[in-house]
Amino acid sequence: MRALTANRLIDGEVVFWAKGQWVERLADAELFGDADGEAALAAEGHAKAQPTVVVEPYLIDLTASEGFWAPVSYRERIRALGPSNHESHGKQAEGGAAVAALQHAAGAARSSGRVNLIKRK
Amino acid sequence: MYQYDTLDKAFVADRSAEFREQVSRRLAGDLTEEQFQPLRLMNGLYLQLHAYMLRVAIPYGSLDSRQMRKLAEIARTYDKGYGHFTTRTNIQFHWIKLKDAPDILDALASVDMHGIQTSGNCIRNTTADPYSGATDEELDDARVWAEAIRQWSSLHPEFSFLPRKFKIAITAAAKDRTAAKAHDIGLMIRRGRDGELGFEVIVGGGMGRTPYVGPTIREFLPVNRLFSYLEAILRVYNRHGRRDNKYKARIKILVSALGSAEFARQVEEEWSKIGPEADLPDTELARIRAAFAPKAFEALPTRSDVFEAAKASNPAFARFARNNLRAHKKPGYAIVEISLKEIGATPGDATADQMDVVADLAERYGQDDIRVTHEQNLVLPHVKLDDLPAVHAALATAGLATPNVNLITDIIACPGLDYCALANARAIPIAQDIAERFADQDRAEAIGELKIKISGCINACGHHHVGHIGVLGVDKKGEEFYQLTLGGSGAEDATIGQMLGPALPADRVAPAIDTLVEVYLRERQDGERFLDTFRRTGVAPFKEAVYADAH
Repeated sequence: MRALTANRLIDGEVVFWAKGQWVERLADAELFGDADGEAALAAEGHAKAQPTVVVEPYLIDLTASEGFWAPVSYRERIRALGPSNHESHGKQAEGGAAVAALQHAAGAARSSGRVNLIKRK
Repeated sequence: MYQYDTLDKAFVADRSAEFREQVSRRLAGDLTEEQFQPLRLMNGLYLQLHAYMLRVAIPYGSLDSRQMRKLAEIARTYDKGYGHFTTRTNIQFHWIKLKDAPDILDALASVDMHGIQTSGNCIRNTTADPYSGATDEELDDARVWAEAIRQWSSLHPEFSFLPRKFKIAITAAAKDRTAAKAHDIGLMIRRGRDGELGFEVIVGGGMGRTPYVGPTIREFLPVNRLFSYLEAILRVYNRHGRRDNKYKARIKILVSALGSAEFARQVEEEWSKIGPEADLPDTELARIRAAFAPKAFEALPTRSDVFEAAKASNPAFARFARNNLRAHKKPGYAIVEISLKEIGATPGDATADQMDVVADLAERYGQDDIRVTHEQNLVLPHVKLDDLPAVHAALATAGLATPNVNLITDIIACPGLDYCALANARAIPIAQDIAERFADQDRAEAIGELKIKISGCINACGHHHVGHIGVLGVDKKGEEFYQLTLGGSGAEDATIGQMLGPALPADRVAPAIDTLVEVYLRERQDGERFLDTFRRTGVAPFKEAVYADAH
């Protein structure tokens, strides 16, 4: 499973794509399954056409965790949660089951979308 | 301290107005991100994992209470109520919104501050001895030269687009508190045979993926020839430094490739062409020096009954005095180190309230003088012994009296993967784990001086190469692992640490450091620091103990 992420231009907030909108919670993000490759690329294309809204959109890989989807890479989990030294900062401050699922997610790999982005540069 | 003149003030205000216009054009879509990024970086504004990060220059780590209060106000108004003091003696705010950045630059400009040259391939903030003007170890006040370097290097047209970033450190004391030998240029003030002052010039030190202790290319440069010589060094670098490969672009690679003797020869040749007209006129140096004229110290006895009585009656104060005070050049005064390494907290972080407390104490008891150290602590350089119990009490109330300067819990850590877009692994939680493991102050004091430095990637902002114990976060098959190095030093005996062995997972780092400490306590001889014992025994007993545990 994959999701599309970026940082919002005006404030740097981590955002996720959800059917034409940008949302702040990963739990609200649109999910692209293995069969949705074309839809994922189309969403990425739409995002790139919004340079005054977001910076550097890219797709990230997700894995199942406690009934939610969590980023495979710990870098992306930190982006989706906030810094681990200040639990009251960032998205994790909201708490709840979706945040707990991200905090408990194991499995670690490089942020594949990010690596592709760096390669393109 | 140095005060901006009307030209300085006008320039910084203009730059802020210019940036406001650039942000507005970016938000309107008139500038692409590719066009805008270098403009924001030239004002210290980065985009990190969760938000923008604004790096604010604190020239040679020196500021007054008015500036510290403004930083507190910015932290409170535009960030989450705190700031992070860095190994470049700057401050970073980690939760900045692009739309607020112009207002923040205006606020900074109102107290003669900015983010200019805190990013980019230019000459960055100069590190100076944080005890300048207060220690009797110094031959001259390093701030005078650091301020002259600031003025010379600010927007220097020839040196604004170097092959890579460029960092200078300056110390006038034999004990180096600036990591001078790990800088692009390290300047150490020495006294010549005839009593005159000069600089030992060290070029090509550095950390990052290719660490070097810089070689000395000139043993003695008369102080009045500094700027023509700096110009010669920068010119040789600008001409021959590699621009084809970012990872080989620092001056250390050029010095290493040419050899220090050949590099020095080229600098001397260039220097002979430049001549003394490029040096700072004596009148200008005198103008700058006047800004750092010695404070009006009172004539006080060496011994303070108030101070002695407080030590005798208050063990917490006595411990603070043992670990956080340093000798001042004037009788009856002390240099106070304020640790930003409270056990379990984030190294280098200070809340807005803590910044206000430090500002108040500096104003009331410390001649309105505050310093930032490259080890991510603060200093009140001039406090009367009589006032120390009151200063300590106020610091303790604010959570700023941790008595651990230079001890095992006084850890340098970069922001790491919790914030930084470049990091491979987190650094802060590792520092917190280690600090909590050694929270017992008696044990920490029994261990003595032990500098742990942690970086979340090979760029080495956490100075791990020169840690007595260095910790480097790496991404090993997608997981956070940590490589330990031993025996590094950023002081006058600068050394690059040796790798201990294979990288360890996060939860094994603090236990491994405990093991290293146990080996040191077993092996140490009279008065040896960890570093001394390591140098005598070599890596073998340490390696054996840490990796024996793994089997």
